[in-house]
Amino acid sequence: MQQPFWRRFVRNRPAAFGLAFLAFVVVLALGAPLLFPGDPFRMVDRTFLPPFGAYLFGTDSLGRDIAAGIAHGGRTSLMVGLVATVVAVSIGTLLGALAGFYRGWIDDALMRFTEFFQTIPTFLFAIVLVAIMSPSRGSIILAIAVISWPPIARLVRGEFMAMREREFVQAAICLGMTDLAIIFRQILPNVLSPIIVAGSLMVATAILIEAALAFLGLGDPNAMSWGFMIGAGRSFLRDAWWLCAIPGIAILLTVLSINLVGEGVNDALNPRLRTL
Amino acid sequence: MSGSTIFGRSLAAALLAAALCAAPEFALAQKRGGTLVQITQPEPPTLASYLSTSGPIGQVTAKIYDGLFEYGFDMKPQPCLAESWSVAPDGKTVTFKLRGGVKFHDGKPFTSADVQFTIMEVLKKVHPRGINTFKEVTAVETPDAQTAIFRLANAAPYMMAALSGYESPMLPKHIYGTGDIRSHESANKPLGTGPFKFVEWRRGELVRLDRNPDYWRSGQPYLERIVVRFIPDSATRTALLEKGDAHVAGFGAVPYNDVKRLAALPGIEVTTKGYEMISPVVEITINTKRPPFDNVKVRQAVSYAVNRQFAIDNVWFGYGRLATGAISSNFKASGLYSADVRNYSVPNAVEMANKLLDEAGFPRKADGTRFEIVHDITPYGEEWQRFGETVQQQLAQVGIKATLRYEDVATWLKRTYTDYDFFLTSNFLYNLADPVLGVHRSFHSALIKQGTVFVNGSRWSSPQTDELMNKAALEPDTAKRGAYYAELQKLTAEAAPIIWVHELLFPTILNKRYKDVIVSPLGIYGAYNRAWLDR
Amino acid sequence: MAIGPGTILYVVRRLLQAVPIVVGIVVLNFLLLQLAPGDAATVLAGEAGGAPAEYVAQLRERFGLDRPMHVQLLLYVKNVLMLNLGYSFRNSMPVSELIFGRLGPTLLLMGTTLIVSVLSGVLLGLLAATAVNTWRDRVISVAAVIAYATPLFWIGLMLILLFSIKLDWLPTTGMEDVVAFNEGWDRVLDIAHHLVLPTLTLSLFYMALYTRMMRAAMLDQRGMDYVVTARSKGLAERLITYRHVLRNAVLPVVTMAGVQVGSLLGGSVIVESVFAWPGLGQLAFQSLFARDFNLLLGIFFLSACLVVVVNLIVDMVYLVLDPRIKLG
Repeated sequence: MQQPFWRRFVRNRPAAFGLAFLAFVVVLALGAPLLFPGDPFRMVDRTFLPPFGAYLFGTDSLGRDIAAGIAHGGRTSLMVGLVATVVAVSIGTLLGALAGFYRGWIDDALMRFTEFFQTIPTFLFAIVLVAIMSPSRGSIILAIAVISWPPIARLVRGEFMAMREREFVQAAICLGMTDLAIIFRQILPNVLSPIIVAGSLMVATAILIEAALAFLGLGDPNAMSWGFMIGAGRSFLRDAWWLCAIPGIAILLTVLSINLVGEGVNDALNPRLRTL
Repeated sequence: MSGSTIFGRSLAAALLAAALCAAPEFALAQKRGGTLVQITQPEPPTLASYLSTSGPIGQVTAKIYDGLFEYGFDMKPQPCLAESWSVAPDGKTVTFKLRGGVKFHDGKPFTSADVQFTIMEVLKKVHPRGINTFKEVTAVETPDAQTAIFRLANAAPYMMAALSGYESPMLPKHIYGTGDIRSHESANKPLGTGPFKFVEWRRGELVRLDRNPDYWRSGQPYLERIVVRFIPDSATRTALLEKGDAHVAGFGAVPYNDVKRLAALPGIEVTTKGYEMISPVVEITINTKRPPFDNVKVRQAVSYAVNRQFAIDNVWFGYGRLATGAISSNFKASGLYSADVRNYSVPNAVEMANKLLDEAGFPRKADGTRFEIVHDITPYGEEWQRFGETVQQQLAQVGIKATLRYEDVATWLKRTYTDYDFFLTSNFLYNLADPVLGVHRSFHSALIKQGTVFVNGSRWSSPQTDELMNKAALEPDTAKRGAYYAELQKLTAEAAPIIWVHELLFPTILNKRYKDVIVSPLGIYGAYNRAWLDR
Repeated sequence: MAIGPGTILYVVRRLLQAVPIVVGIVVLNFLLLQLAPGDAATVLAGEAGGAPAEYVAQLRERFGLDRPMHVQLLLYVKNVLMLNLGYSFRNSMPVSELIFGRLGPTLLLMGTTLIVSVLSGVLLGLLAATAVNTWRDRVISVAAVIAYATPLFWIGLMLILLFSIKLDWLPTTGMEDVVAFNEGWDRVLDIAHHLVLPTLTLSLFYMALYTRMMRAAMLDQRGMDYVVTARSKGLAERLITYRHVLRNAVLPVVTMAGVQVGSLLGGSVIVESVFAWPGLGQLAFQSLFARDFNLLLGIFFLSACLVVVVNLIVDMVYLVLDPRIKLG
């Protein structure tokens, strides 16, 4: 399975491009403290220096190095995206698994609960959560996770419902395995691939939500992030286009490459779709 | 420009009215007609200017309501609804002669009963600042329809600076006199004697005001209509002004960096006049009850550490004047300002800060820091965030590690004025028309009031400064007041409960085709009765 | 599908089922908002640049904020059940009046966005799927992938920069020309003119999503047995595509569009803010920061109702598109 999957993945050229770019962003983000040591909020030079001069991406309205901001901001964006997704996927998987496995009133109750969260206007709800908890990395992650888990729950529930009828699960039940063991050891490994695909796409969405929150002034004031940079550069759109354009492009390319990778994984896991 | 005017009958009448107004008027070739589009940011929550002094409200309602007075750039009162007035020598009786023949927008006459009702039943009871302004007023007597006599318990010279249509609007008793003034059904249908009539308020969009044809200055106003637009996005506000779709905006409605570009356009004029009775000051309030800021040396040190000029140049793009102390230099004209205070904007400020911190017993540790604090940011938008970021960097230079916190208005107000749970917070206060109204609140021990916003949040006070303020409040003689205030400014600068950063110079952006829009120290809070469109 | 007593019964049952959810949302938000520091009276005093303590106490009493929390909650829920959304003291207006004033612009923006994105998504998906692996497919697919990754607020700003500021083709913001005070058809045209950029901005993401879904669904359906059967019966490829495949491929797009009404409302917060569109999103944003909770809860209530109704409509559309589905 390993070899063909990988080969199928890299043969998909957009996915390979996505993976390469994503790897670049990850290296940049991880290497930020080495490449651009010190506080990215530090003022290093005159204000509004255009890009490709003394500083690769120029400086912003307070004379901060934009390249440093992009590298350090990448850390925030990726971290928020990843952690929020892990939290959301965990909640969604757990609730979806319970609903799909037990069915009956548990399913009813959990699905009502899910429906509840799907009826709330999500972005507005995230704004409320962040404003109440006051903007910080933790509150932003929590807010994104809270609004993102329902689709995962629905997906996992569906997969579990189908799996539960399969012979190996019925066999495990007959063998007297505990429910927890069946859920986590028997069924979950078999439904991981759609979860991974959905999760990888969710990272992209989470990065977009974080950027939107930061744009509205609800970012963590101590964490450099791409959304923050666009929000801060928005007023200078015409005089210093690069303040907004560069972090905007960074978001676009990162989200794009995550999507491409997610789809590449999906296609590689479900070769049927590709052969059509 | 005065000689070539052709005198029409209505124009002559207008000039006569203007002459009565005692303001130096020129016979400009004012033309009738045209719509002025003003951008006001943010949208006012209500139009009840007698109930809330939220900034944007007055920008709309000052065109609808007149006050007893108007004010010239010398800050002296000029007649408006009050044709003349006299103050008794003890300052405890003030008699106003009201203009005759003035009608409200519904055609009912304006009389002394309306003045009595407005002052005693409305402003003194429910107006956030009026409660203080008219504190000393015990009664308003109305011997006849054209006379209103204010009886005061103590002299209150500052009251005379607060009688504009913006600050103390004259309301029709026949409308607001019935029903609960706090939730009146006409709250959002303002009706006054002013040059423009309220027509409609489309929430989230605009307020439309049309010319009042029966305005008491006959011939005025010149404009046919005023539309006040509410545009949440700052880039859009700039674009509208640039395209000529909007004609006037002030109070930071346009980002400071855009102002420079707009100012360079041929059709646009930028002025920083029209805020002299407001005198906004950017400051950092220090929590003097929380260590290490209970130590005056630490407070002085951070006062040195904050680079004021850097903030003016890079955050406010030059729209500020270095602040020296508790009173704005706008009070230079009235003799209440003094520059004879400890100067924190010195070339060796960083050195001074480091020295003071060493002396205070906070040496640098191995990692170069002395102590850690949280710096709260006023939740008023972008500049404030940028300002917080610069302060953070400047404090780092003297070894203070500051974490930033940016919360929404309600949270920040509660933290600063109820919980006192802060170290340093940027802050934005107005000196208003008189130090009694705008300055005392930050230092007087009587104004350390938990839960009351924009009072003495640093909780610093001293018997000596209290005494100075008490005397200055009742003193009618300007020279003596000036001496009290000079001493107050010296003492407060020494104690440094507040870092006065700069006197913000709000830029007002004006389309040059519109003339005589900003004609008083109230600027955008003016009535616009003389504004006209040159076509 | 005929509208018989069964359908009506079904609709009524669905609506009744939604009541506890909607009330639950209101209660949850009410409780959540109690955690927010500061209250409406503080904000009003703050905006006023300061106010005496007596004044703030007066405000609290008037707003009913001095009562115990559970009393406030019970009162609120009781009022909501009687469809009374209360009074916004900050705005000196009943909440329902405020909301209905803003509902029109929001529904207009959401409606046009929904129509534009679904129609163009279906069309583009169809165009791509009927020419798999040709340049047409590639261009559409790449464009969709990029649009899907673009932050809404950023593209909004860029569109303003290009079409309003540089080219001067379209108005920068707002819903109508406020100086003109147009009437009748002129007003309709004017609003349509203002609607172009916000709709385009908000549609872009959803259009991309639906294009991709449509394309995938079309490809999926083509492998299905019934298509193979149809093909073997010698039916023309075009006929198969338009009569059978299209119909089935639209289903997931419609479902998705229905599910996303809630998120569309959220996305409109940003678009409304960028384009100064006088809708509910902005009102909600302002009411949160002003601690005007009657108003904010009213908006949550209304949008929850909206989502319930739209979901119901989606299910009805389903019935029309796929007669095999039975009312459950």
